[in-house]
Amino acid sequence: MRRRQFLLGLGALAGVGALAACSNEAPAGPPPSGAPPAPSTTTTTAAPTYEGEAASVALGAALSALAGELLGQAASGAGQGRYGAVPGVVSAYLSGAAAQHVAHAEAWNRLLVAGGRPAVDGAPLSVEPALRARLDAARAPVDLLGLAADLTGTVAATVTAIVGEVTDASAVTLAAGVGPVAAMHGATADFLLGRPPTAPSDPTAGALGPDALTV
Amino acid sequence: MTAPVPADVPALQTASSLVVLSADTYSSLQALPFGGGASAPAPLRDLLAAALDALARARTDLATATRRAGGRAQTNADPRYAPVVEQALPTVRGPGDVVGLALTLEDVLAQTLVSDVVELSVPEVRRMVAGHAAAAARRKALLLTLQTLLSTGRAELVASPPDLAALPPAAGTVGFPDVLFPTEKASPATEGAVR
Repeated sequence: MRRRQFLLGLGALAGVGALAACSNEAPAGPPPSGAPPAPSTTTTTAAPTYEGEAASVALGAALSALAGELLGQAASGAGQGRYGAVPGVVSAYLSGAAAQHVAHAEAWNRLLVAGGRPAVDGAPLSVEPALRARLDAARAPVDLLGLAADLTGTVAATVTAIVGEVTDASAVTLAAGVGPVAAMHGATADFLLGRPPTAPSDPTAGALGPDALTV
Repeated sequence: MTAPVPADVPALQTASSLVVLSADTYSSLQALPFGGGASAPAPLRDLLAAALDALARARTDLATATRRAGGRAQTNADPRYAPVVEQALPTVRGPGDVVGLALTLEDVLAQTLVSDVVELSVPEVRRMVAGHAAAAARRKALLLTLQTLLSTGRAELVASPPDLAALPPAAGTVGFPDVLFPTEKASPATEGAVR
């Protein structure tokens, strides 16, 4: 990908480009001939909303949204005294990281919309219930930091994997910019937890795939 | 894996040259008593050791990709920043200087790798480079945090595990200053190319 495409990609980040590879999947068509007519009021099996590269972008949107939501709720709960005495450095970390994940989710969704796909609504991921339960079970600041370290590690690994799965300039550019920031969230959480710096040999270990999407 | 293309060789060589320089510099810093020695803060000592492991892997991966693209692996340090390091090393007097020099190099390395992810032609190579960019970003985050703590003049804050109640709130966010990782300091692809 050369300089001109990079600049085009940056334009798309501002919402003026298109996610061509996301829009080259045909929209859902009519049922095949011979299939029973669909019920008039309900459907039982919906076709996946996102396919191909759009699914990778949607995964980025959903996972960033989940991280933003859970870390934001952790910050709110800390402010309400739900986890005991939470040091200011922990509250600041949770709020700051949450805001950046929310911004990432918005950027992923802008790519989807520019490519003619719907924005991801919420965090439709198979891992969402377990992670939410983990937040619900948290009792102390160290629980929140542990969740943050694991969650941001998953985000960083997933976005690094996405880099190798998309070809659209806008998607590559966004993934290139998001992954290292999520990694920085993880490094900060690890430091606050007293964990030594890590140098994982496989930076995509623990990455989620598009099959983690539930839409 | 799809083979990298020849047009990617200069970028891979430049990334290699920055990795070589960073690894050489970390080795020098690690040899200092307040860098990797007994008087060094534990988080800094751990960071230098982990960085050398990660940079060795980056060097191998980038050299392999360079050769697969038909180029010669770059084994020399980046020509723009090597003189900067040569001048700076004798002036390093304490952990704050160690962090400052390492941070300068990590920022350039990470920004160059992020820029390379966008510029490179082959998805598999992009993913490999993105992994090393994330590793460099992790080190940058920790260095930014250590720099903030050391600047308070309270060395006891740089501990592992840290005393969370004693840390300034800014230590929780200084490690991730940008929503998207910047690239304005990225080295041009030809800077460290083999000539």
